[in-house]
Amino acid sequence: MNYKDKVIESIIKILTLVTSVIVFFVIIFIVVESIPIFKEVGIKDFIFQSEWNPIGKNKSYGILPMILGSIYVSLLSILIAFPLGLGFSIFLCFLNSRIRRIIVSFIDMLAGIPSVIFGFLGLIIIVKMFEKNLHMASGESVLAGGILLSIIILPFIITNCLESLLEGKGIYEDASLSLGVSKWFTIRKIVLPCSMKAVFISLILAFSRAMGETMAVMMVIGNAPLMPKLLSKTETIPSLIALEMGSVEYKSLHYSALYGAGVILLIMLFICNVLFYVLKNIARKGE
Amino acid sequence: MKNDIFLKLWSYISGIIVIGIIVFIFLYILIKGFNVMSFEFLTSSPKGMPLGTEGGIFPAIMGTIYLGLICAGIGGIFSVCTAVYLAFYSRNKALYELIMFCIRSVSGIPSIILGLFGYSFFIMKFEIPKGLLSAGFTLSIMVIPFITIRIEKQFREFSKGVFDSSLALGVSKIYTIRKIVIRKSFGKILSAIMLGTTYAVGAAAPIMFTGVAIFAKSPRSINDTFMALSYHLYMIISEGLSIEMAYGTAFVLMMLVLIVNLLCRFLWKEDSFGKDNRG
Repeated sequence: MNYKDKVIESIIKILTLVTSVIVFFVIIFIVVESIPIFKEVGIKDFIFQSEWNPIGKNKSYGILPMILGSIYVSLLSILIAFPLGLGFSIFLCFLNSRIRRIIVSFIDMLAGIPSVIFGFLGLIIIVKMFEKNLHMASGESVLAGGILLSIIILPFIITNCLESLLEGKGIYEDASLSLGVSKWFTIRKIVLPCSMKAVFISLILAFSRAMGETMAVMMVIGNAPLMPKLLSKTETIPSLIALEMGSVEYKSLHYSALYGAGVILLIMLFICNVLFYVLKNIARKGE
Repeated sequence: MKNDIFLKLWSYISGIIVIGIIVFIFLYILIKGFNVMSFEFLTSSPKGMPLGTEGGIFPAIMGTIYLGLICAGIGGIFSVCTAVYLAFYSRNKALYELIMFCIRSVSGIPSIILGLFGYSFFIMKFEIPKGLLSAGFTLSIMVIPFITIRIEKQFREFSKGVFDSSLALGVSKIYTIRKIVIRKSFGKILSAIMLGTTYAVGAAAPIMFTGVAIFAKSPRSINDTFMALSYHLYMIISEGLSIEMAYGTAFVLMMLVLIVNLLCRFLWKEDSFGKDNRG
């Protein structure tokens, strides 16, 4: 091995080390920065208090509305996107593979559109529509966020549903068709039931993805720290961080509280991911 | 039979709705945005009173391109090295799993939290001035998992036969990786880096606190604050400056994403010989 090779090899090793350390460090850093708020306010109060008032005279740091807001908007988006996504995947199952590939590549492109553009469209179309048709003072609401978010996670849901449906179809279709059963009956009675489990489990991932979405949601939900109702304004954890981080003093309690909110969000995402892997393993064992 | 009709109806209706949504989104931005396009819009700075209601978005385009280059450069080098190490060098299974676990976890962190990290870590702790460099660092943390996971998979699928034959000829491992593995999968590496970069550059959340400015000139040095298309779009809308300018900015951003997407599709297809003669 010559000199040059050795240098390159050590560069590779050093850069890998740096990457791993940084990546590991990101998580540690976020937790460390949030410690002051948990010490000062206490984890229980921080999560379960519903008053968020970090600048006033009686300061209070409770992020319950934001937690519920995040969950509400994300659940709503899945509730809307799931039936559409599953129906669309069934629709795609019946197309021939060339057309299907073209449509799927368009869906991939939809997934690549930056969320700011979605937020923009949401604001000028969905919110405007609400204001016009429902006579609301402002159309910015949980419902608008849910609809917009459902479009953003739709590609993700479709890809997952389609994958499991096609898998089931590949196994049983020929056998079922040769018995003289119709295509639709095959899908309804065989393919759908056997891929349902995988589809439901993948919804958990879609949910965690929806929770982390920042810009698009922030632009259409109004950002008021209120308890979420379908047609009222609310605030999610990412939008709380995005809006207040710019004006906060470094190392102050407010700053730490924003990190605390981030940690709570990460913990929720982590629970989702663990749930996903556990359920996936159970489902696999059951087969 | 009745249930079949219900299923049919359901799938056709959702087919129509989803295709409708996709067509609508693309056409809406493309048509509305195209009407705003002009040579002036692309090559001049924001003008008007208040600033941003007229003029163009040239600094934002340049800022986005510079930011993308920095992000692709840093993110690309680190990702390729990490992927090479993980795929060819790591013998310790536990270490491999640990590194992979960290990388996967970071890929799941919402971009806004990475922005928060970038702000406190790069700007406050290390006192890098707010600007292209600090934003570029933040974005590269965002893309490293994206690129590494893809390239590592690509390396793993690389023909064992070709790799082993090269080693059997007495060629050193690193030489084989450099001259055969990387060269043969160059198109895919490039497309992974490009895809990751556009996805990072399109995100406004991580650069919000790490260097983007509401208005700035095209950056001249690496520590200048800059304008970016994604943030500019957010800013114009949230301040309610000009809907026309917003259409135009969205159009340019969308075109950027679509062109890179198509390019990557083309690069990814250009197959290496690695896959078909697996030994």
